[in-house]
Amino acid sequence: MSAAPTTRPATPERTAMTTATRSAAPSRRARLRSAAGAEARLLVRNRTAVFNSVLMPLLLVAAVPALGIGGGEVGLGPTLLTAAVVISLVYLTYYNLVTTYVARREDLVLQRMRTGELSDGEVLTATAVPTLLVTVGQLVVVTAGVVALGEWSAPVQPLLVAFGVLAGLVLMVLLAIASTGFTRTAESAQITTLPIVLVSTALSGMFFPLSALPEWLSGIARFLPVTPVVDLLHLGFSGTTWEGDPVGDVSVWTWAVFPAGVLVAWIVVGTVLARRGFRWAPRR
Amino acid sequence: MQPATAAPPTRSGEPLAVEVTDLRRSYGDFEAVRGISFEVRPGEVFALLGVNGAGKTSALEVLEGLATPGGGTVRVFGADPVRDRAAVRARMGMLLQSSGLPGDLTVAETVRTWAGTLSAPRDVDEAIAQVGLTGRADVRVRSLSGGERRRLDLALAVLGRPEVVVLDEPTTGLDPESRRQVWRLVQDMVDGGTAVVLTTHHLEEAEELADRVAILKAGRIVLSGTQEEIAETQPAVVRFTLDAGTPEPPVPAAVQVVSAGPRHEWHTRALQPVLAELLAWAAEHGVVLRYLQATAASLEQAFLAVAEGRVGDAA
Ligand SMILES: Nc1ncnc2c1ncn2[C@@H]1O[C@H](COP(=O)(O)OP(=O)(O)OP(=O)(O)O)[C@@H](O)[C@H]1O
Ligand SMILES: [Mg+2]
Repeated sequence: MSAAPTTRPATPERTAMTTATRSAAPSRRARLRSAAGAEARLLVRNRTAVFNSVLMPLLLVAAVPALGIGGGEVGLGPTLLTAAVVISLVYLTYYNLVTTYVARREDLVLQRMRTGELSDGEVLTATAVPTLLVTVGQLVVVTAGVVALGEWSAPVQPLLVAFGVLAGLVLMVLLAIASTGFTRTAESAQITTLPIVLVSTALSGMFFPLSALPEWLSGIARFLPVTPVVDLLHLGFSGTTWEGDPVGDVSVWTWAVFPAGVLVAWIVVGTVLARRGFRWAPRR
Repeated sequence: MQPATAAPPTRSGEPLAVEVTDLRRSYGDFEAVRGISFEVRPGEVFALLGVNGAGKTSALEVLEGLATPGGGTVRVFGADPVRDRAAVRARMGMLLQSSGLPGDLTVAETVRTWAGTLSAPRDVDEAIAQVGLTGRADVRVRSLSGGERRRLDLALAVLGRPEVVVLDEPTTGLDPESRRQVWRLVQDMVDGGTAVVLTTHHLEEAEELADRVAILKAGRIVLSGTQEEIAETQPAVVRFTLDAGTPEPPVPAAVQVVSAGPRHEWHTRALQPVLAELLAWAAEHGVVLRYLQATAASLEQAFLAVAEGRVGDAA
C-alpha cells in the first residue's frame, strides 16, 4: 500500500495503457474530486459526525481561557491558537481519521473503493479530505475569532508556525493510518487512540510548561509526538521556549532544531508504522 | 478427465485477456490456492466452480490485483494486475463476493461518484436501468434490499466498459427474474467482446453462461474444459422401481449397478443402448418400470463427484 496520502505531490499522470477505444484517463485531480465529494456529502449527512468534528473542537478551544491555561509570557491569542491547532490535529485529524478508516474498512467500503481506477493513495486521501478540510476550517475560524477579540499579535516567526502545523498534520494522518492496524472496530477507537489523545496531548506542554514536571518525565514528554508541534508553535507565535521562558539571546531557530528533529523522526516512524499496520479488509 | 490446463478448443490465436499460470496463495501455513492455471480469451466466459472454501475468492483476489500471489503469475492483457494496476484497471471491472457501499448516498449518487473515477464510464442512467434500479435511483443505499444492493454493485463493476470482468458470485441472493437480468447483462458484454471470469454456486448459471468451466477442490483444479467435456467424465444415470414379485432385469455389460431393487440405480456411459435394452426387456415381460428416469451426465453430477472426492483426488 501507499501510506502517505496527503503528502503525495502532484505527480505526472501515469501513462494509461493505450487502446484504440480509450481516451486519456480523467486527471488524478478529477478522480479525487469525485470520490472526495461523495465523502464530504457523507459527512454532512451524518449529524453525529458534524457535531463531533465541527462543534466539539470549537467548544474545547472556547474552554481554554476558562481553564486558566496560558497567560504570563504567552498572550491569550497565541494560547488560543496553539490550543486550536493541537485540539484540531488530535481530536479531528487523528481521532476522526482512525474512526473513519476503521469504520470504512469494517464495512468493506475501502476494499470496494480499491476495485476501480483509484490508486490506494487516492482511496485513503479521498476518505480523509472532509476531515482535513474541517481541520483547516477550524483553524481559520479560531484565527478569525482571535482577531475579532482583538487578541491577534503577529507571530514572531511565521515559518515555524507553518512548519509545525503542516508537519503535525502529516504526522497525525500517518499515526491515524498506523492506529487502524490495532483498532478492530470504530468503537474501540475510543480506547486505542488514548495514548495520543490523552497521554501525548496532556504531556505536550499545551496545558502547562513541561518544566513543571519532574525531570525524568519532562525528558520523556519532549519525545512524544504532539510535544514538538506545541514547542514549534510557542517558538513561532511568541518566541517562548518549551520551559515557558522567552528565547532570550539565542535565536528561535536554534531552539527549533530539537522539536523539528523530533517531529521529522516521528514522521519517519509514522510512515513505517502506517505501512506495516494498515489493512484494507477486516481481519478474518 | 481433462488435464487441469485444457486448452480452449476454439478461437485459438486471439490474444489472451487473462492468463493464470501455476497460481498459489497462502494464509500463513495454509495454502488456499495450490497451483492453478487457466486462460480466458476476449468474448469468452470462464466459470470457476467449487464448494465453499475451495479457494475461488482467494484466486480471484490475485487476478483482481487486490492480493499478491504466493507463487505463479497472473497476466491481464499481458500486464501484472498488481504492478501495472493503473493500466490494468482501466480495462478491468470486478465484483467482490462481499463489499460495502456507504449507506447515506443514493443509488444515483453512488453510480455518479464511481463514474467520476473512471476513464471511460458508461451513461449513469443507462447503467442504473440496466440493473433494474431506475425506480430506486433516489433511494439511499442503506434502504435497498440485499438483492438491489447486489445489482448496484454489479452496475459499478461494469460501469467502466471493462474488457475483462471478474464476478465473484454475481447472483447470490438474487431472485430468479433478477438473475436472468444479470445473465442478459453479462451476455451483452460478452457479445461485445468482454472476457468474463465468474464464480457461482448455481450450476445452471454456469451452464447458461460459461464457455469453459473449471472445478476447484482444496485449491486445485480437478476438472476443466467445456461443459460437455466435464459432463462426459460422469456416467449417465438410469433409475426405476420394480413392484414386488417382478423378475429382475438382466444387467447390460455397460452398467454399473449402484443400487439394486426395489429402487434400481444404474450408472452407464452408454445411455441409449442400455435404455433400449431395458425397455425391450420390460416390454417383452410386461414389466412396469415405475418412476423411470434417465439422466444424461451433467455438470452438477461432475461437481458433486468432485466435491465428494469421487474424481481427481489423485490430482
Ligand atoms: N484471510 C484469510 N485468512 C485465513 N484463511 C483464509 C482467509 N481467507 C480465506 N481463507 C481460507 O482459504 C480457503 C479458501 O477460501 P476462499 O474464500 O477462497 O473460498 P471460496 O472458494 O471463495 O469459498 P466460498 O464459495 O465460500 O466463497 C478457506 O478454507 C478459507 O477458510
Ligand atoms: Mg468465495
